[in-house]
Amino acid sequence: MSTILVNPVDEIRRKRQQAARRLATLSGKTVALLDISKPGGSVFLDRLSELLTTRYGVNKIRRLTKPTYTKQAPNDLIAKLSGQYCDAVIEALAD
Amino acid sequence: MLDEGDCVVPFTLPSLDSEGTQVVFEGKLVLLVFIETDCPTCRLTLPYLEKLAVSLHGSSASVFCISQDGDDATRRLISDISVDLQVLLDSELIVSRQYNPPFVPALYLIDRNARIVRKGVGFEKKMLNELSAELSSFAGSPLVVFDYDDGTPASKPGCVSRHLEPAVTGDMATPVDLHAKRGRRASVIELPDDVDPYDYCVRADFSDPLPVIPPTRARVDRMLEIAPGSADEIVGLVPPNYGAATIEKIAANAVMAGCFPELIRVLVSVIRAACDERLNLHGVQATTHFAAPLVLINGPVRQNLGFASGSNVFSNVARANSTLGRALQLVLINLGGARPGEIDTSTLGNPGKFSFCIAENEEESPWEPFHIDQGYEENLSTVTLFAAEPPRGVSEHQARHGRSILETISKTLVTIWSYRVCFGQEALVIICPEHAVTLARDGFTKQLVREFLFENTGVPVRAYDNADGEGVQQVTRYDRVEIQGEPCYRKFETPEAIRVIVAGGTAGKFSAVIGGWRGSVPVTCPIG
Repeated sequence: MSTILVNPVDEIRRKRQQAARRLATLSGKTVALLDISKPGGSVFLDRLSELLTTRYGVNKIRRLTKPTYTKQAPNDLIAKLSGQYCDAVIEALAD
Repeated sequence: MLDEGDCVVPFTLPSLDSEGTQVVFEGKLVLLVFIETDCPTCRLTLPYLEKLAVSLHGSSASVFCISQDGDDATRRLISDISVDLQVLLDSELIVSRQYNPPFVPALYLIDRNARIVRKGVGFEKKMLNELSAELSSFAGSPLVVFDYDDGTPASKPGCVSRHLEPAVTGDMATPVDLHAKRGRRASVIELPDDVDPYDYCVRADFSDPLPVIPPTRARVDRMLEIAPGSADEIVGLVPPNYGAATIEKIAANAVMAGCFPELIRVLVSVIRAACDERLNLHGVQATTHFAAPLVLINGPVRQNLGFASGSNVFSNVARANSTLGRALQLVLINLGGARPGEIDTSTLGNPGKFSFCIAENEEESPWEPFHIDQGYEENLSTVTLFAAEPPRGVSEHQARHGRSILETISKTLVTIWSYRVCFGQEALVIICPEHAVTLARDGFTKQLVREFLFENTGVPVRAYDNADGEGVQQVTRYDRVEIQGEPCYRKFETPEAIRVIVAGGTAGKFSAVIGGWRGSVPVTCPIG
């Protein structure tokens, strides 16, 4: 006799998200750097900012910070990034 | 919870603008929304409600928010997120108890005959769009459509309604009703005769790496027969993947973990606590830290179902502890998606991720048990979830006085998270019965224990001299005090951050401390 099992795993079907189109170049672009608020993040992002500007010709760096690294970014922060605010976002952490 | 089809009566509550605003329903369409000021899902929902309210201006339909908090907190919330809404204040929870929603935000659409035509809890764009269509159709106002791609999640579970929280006594401290939403029934898997069900469950990745009891239809049904709700009821959405924890799915995982059927009632409350926003399970499951949810059981259910609270309480001593703790972990993996090596990237992990469930030794405690501290009645049973590091043992066999025992405990307590980190700390202190006897003899109540540990747990200021390490950068935030003549920074911000229970066997003077995870607050739920 066959055995019937009840599926114990999540069966919600999720919509696949299309990844954002990648930039052909960073030159002349505006890049947002999102600091997730870990100590040391600013040190890392300062250096990243310098490299993006000097090595890759990024025109403008915009800096944003999550209130806490322990939770998801607040909606208003996400909404800000999804508008005309920047061409690309780098979310970064450092300890 | 008042249900669809139920009739409601007018009520008057103070508002942010007046001492008394009457809400009447006859001839109108009213959307009532109960909110809490510290609920992230309520915060998420309010701007959407504002759009609805603005579209209905001048019509016979309206939106009222009912804050379950006081004037100050509510004003702060409204000012923080800058929304323009009619907000009534139900800090006495009078209307909240009438409507009795299990969670907030709780939305009720009430028609011109004062009848509830629709209700829902949590944030769900689909529901908001449907409500918007009904309001627009009734009021003849412009239709507001909420975009599914506006950067916010399509849905998000809410928090336990304030009137069901435990800072109350008497008949208000009743078990939480089940979540009203329903999910799909689980699919079934038919295994051919030549497939070993034990082997299949391991290969199908249904489990931690240990063997499981195959969740056969018959076994799951035996559990569902005594479950507190129907198979398709959703108890919560389990972070970080937000899989729907229907009672049937919970039962299937309970069977796999080896639970006996009666444990389903406890496990449902555990999952409800796990999905409470305040626990921040999303962060707990995704962090590289050691944290794992520890389950604490209080009340008569300990004896009724055989939960161990004495000797070896953290070990493999009782089926109830071991299998309930494991069932929670299987739910977190199978419904929450927190698989080690995937979303769960903890650096060292935690042995509690196999099973982490203890009960308080209320019989050997000289103090009131934890659930009474939280405001619950003695004869009610509760579960508490705490995002926990592994226990740190404290041996103290020579101290003759309660004060000396606490001084020893404080020396371990100061090491939680990392020695020099003195912000955002939460701790659970497990006092063994022998230490508890000495403390009580010397006049320590549980509150005095907390206060003593708060006052006497600190990191010497000299530990920060020329220091290079964690906790040093934040030193300007710390509270500088003197502890036994030594300048120190306090480890904890409040005595309430230190929770005290009694557990363990009556032989041996070994207590323990457990550090929490920053960003998570312990959550207690009654067992329904």
